[in-house]
Amino acid sequence: MSASSSARRNTVASRALRSPGLAFGFVVVVVMIVAALIAPWASPFDPDAQDVMLVLSPPDTTHLFGTDAFGRDVFSRILWGARISLTVGFLATAVGVVIGTVIGVVAGYYGGVIDRLVVAATDVLLSFPQLIMGLLLVAVLGASLTNLVIAIAVTAVPAFVRLARGSTLAMRERDFVDACRSLGYSDLRIMFLHVLPNILDELVVMASLWLAAAIRTESTLAFIGLSVPPPTATWGGIVREGFDNLLDGPWLAVFPSLAILAVMIGLNLIGDGLRDASDPRAPQ
Amino acid sequence: MKRYLFAAAALLLAPIATARAETVLNVGMAAADIGQIDPHRATSTQDKPVVSWMFNGLVRFKPGSASLEALEPDLAESWEKSADGKTWIFHLRKGVKFHGDWGEMTAEDVVYSLKRAGDSKTSSFAADYSVMESIEAVDPYTVKIVLKKPIPALLGLVANYHGGNIVSKKAAEALGADFRTKPVGTGPFQVVDYKSNESLTFAANPAYFRGVPKIDKIVYRFIPADASRDLAFSSGELDIVYGRQDQRWVERFSKEPNTVVEVVKPAELSILHLNTTMKPLDDKRVRQAVAYAVDRAQIAGFKGASTAVPAISVVPSGYLGTDEQAKLYPHDIAKAKALLAEAGYPNGVTIKVIQTSLPTMLNSMQIVQSQLKKAGIDLQLEVVDHQTFHARIRKDESGAVYYAAARFPVADVYLRQFFHSAATVGTPTAVTNFSHCAVADKEIDAAAIEPDAAKQKDLWKVAQAKVIDDVCAVPLYEQLQVWARKTNVDYGYEFQGAIHLGPVVTELTNKK
Repeated sequence: MSASSSARRNTVASRALRSPGLAFGFVVVVVMIVAALIAPWASPFDPDAQDVMLVLSPPDTTHLFGTDAFGRDVFSRILWGARISLTVGFLATAVGVVIGTVIGVVAGYYGGVIDRLVVAATDVLLSFPQLIMGLLLVAVLGASLTNLVIAIAVTAVPAFVRLARGSTLAMRERDFVDACRSLGYSDLRIMFLHVLPNILDELVVMASLWLAAAIRTESTLAFIGLSVPPPTATWGGIVREGFDNLLDGPWLAVFPSLAILAVMIGLNLIGDGLRDASDPRAPQ
Repeated sequence: MKRYLFAAAALLLAPIATARAETVLNVGMAAADIGQIDPHRATSTQDKPVVSWMFNGLVRFKPGSASLEALEPDLAESWEKSADGKTWIFHLRKGVKFHGDWGEMTAEDVVYSLKRAGDSKTSSFAADYSVMESIEAVDPYTVKIVLKKPIPALLGLVANYHGGNIVSKKAAEALGADFRTKPVGTGPFQVVDYKSNESLTFAANPAYFRGVPKIDKIVYRFIPADASRDLAFSSGELDIVYGRQDQRWVERFSKEPNTVVEVVKPAELSILHLNTTMKPLDDKRVRQAVAYAVDRAQIAGFKGASTAVPAISVVPSGYLGTDEQAKLYPHDIAKAKALLAEAGYPNGVTIKVIQTSLPTMLNSMQIVQSQLKKAGIDLQLEVVDHQTFHARIRKDESGAVYYAAARFPVADVYLRQFFHSAATVGTPTAVTNFSHCAVADKEIDAAAIEPDAAKQKDLWKVAQAKVIDDVCAVPLYEQLQVWARKTNVDYGYEFQGAIHLGPVVTELTNKK
């Protein structure tokens, strides 16, 4: 790795630390992740346990977020729902980033026919709106956790292909790549040990924004009933069930929506913060 | 400034003034789209009320009633039957016109319609009509029906219900497949426009034989989301709305101004049909375990006392022949677990279920799912849209089928459609026997031709006992229909029962 890049990385890190938005976003997201991780121990009730005596009871000290039409504790369901929403979001983005980056770097590095084919393919995929694409795939594959991850990952792939390809194209012409070549390094080694680390900044920024998009897509699909089947709680699913009783129990839709909102804001702040921090044109 | 205000007021009032000229009734329905409005094909909740606005039978259910006792003349002015109960002569009303230019309704149309209703290629109710030996037009205004055997409720087969609706022969033959969306009858309203997934519009039939309808136009809107439909009703966009069948809804809307909530019969019986040919439910002990695991009182509790009661048999209460004291399996989780262990499933069983996304049905199923889970029975729901659900359960793909239905109020119909082996799904004569039940065929068949009313009831009772004992299905709860209207809507009759699952809009119905 070149010296200039590690020096730049230091300024990126220090700038990131000084950005209040980024720190706030980071805290929000970490809190959500921890909540999801400890859900089995932290949730006060079994998320699927129904209670006929407690149907639609408003928030109080026992049931912090109230209960739904089946008398289930909404707080516990949101905690458990976080597991599904975050798992799908992280896995789908991770799969999308890995596949997209590999394809993008290879296409950008080699250029030529491979590149043209890849670009054409991503253009086709990108012409579908993300939600429509996810909807189509889930409808065809059937609603299950794995299929949700696949569907959302597929929508993420073309974006990362584009980004990785563009950045690799720029890197390919740099002196250090020529240096690597003259040292006789293999293409694989150059692509993934030398080019990739230098485009990682942009990929991370993009990934944090896509993570938000993936979670949003999952919630939207759950809202229209295309997610993990009941009784499993997902944020979008809780909103939808709450929607049926919107006038009797507004808390049903409000709290899961707030959870989605918080994660969206958190991830977007992280993405924005990282982008600002890694932007070389930004003031020092 | 004042001038502008006047101008603005005039602009605002203008559309109201034009709306006055035409009385439009807006009806909101809990469905994404129409199913089938061909009267001989209409089986879904959203289709049946509509059919009752467009068609007549030889006799009709008194508007606002769901009782067989209250049938009254409709297209037939009078009728007589032979001493052996096998030959029936109907004298038709003269000068009844079909919608549009399809001419006068005559005996020929009646013969065509009843034959059409008896043909499984054109009708979903064909099995009901297999009892008819011959149907003939004696003259243009006289129809003779000869039965193979006397049956308990022949008038029910020629009433304005299911296959008894009279269609125009000319129109049905000329329109072919188009008849499905533009059926032609003699009723007070006719279809003028259909927007898929949006609305169905009806115009008054000016030539209706009972008089010109007071309502000019009905817009039947499909609003599947409960909250949106409720809001549309509250805001005055809808005059009549399909109510949510739950306690809170009834309570809340009863308190709204200018609103009348009506809870009406017939009760729709919700049943969990268990597929007796699919593992692990092919083992009777597993089915019994399901029956023991269900807590009927709790389901009714979730649904609310003003609209739901625990089921009493595999036939809805109040039908001719229902065993009101049928012996159902009581709620007993320990027994359910013991039976599962005995059947070789000490760790419980998994049953794959295809389930509709329709909120009311999905919610009920989630209650059942939660109850069965306590006994170690895991219902894995594959949630699909309502049409797909109907298609797939009929292909025999689901381990258990949650089905809610009201039928013609005679035990025979319910038993025959749901529990007679001839009605088994996946067979050519399929109706809705999702369980492959075949234990009570003998009694169902014998009861249908039993002339003695008491013996007939006994046979039906035995049939119900056998179906329950073999656990072809687990009865869950009964749900009354809920509809709400604005106070300015006057049905023109007292709305107590809805054999068509919704209010009949007659020539007398008005909106003030």
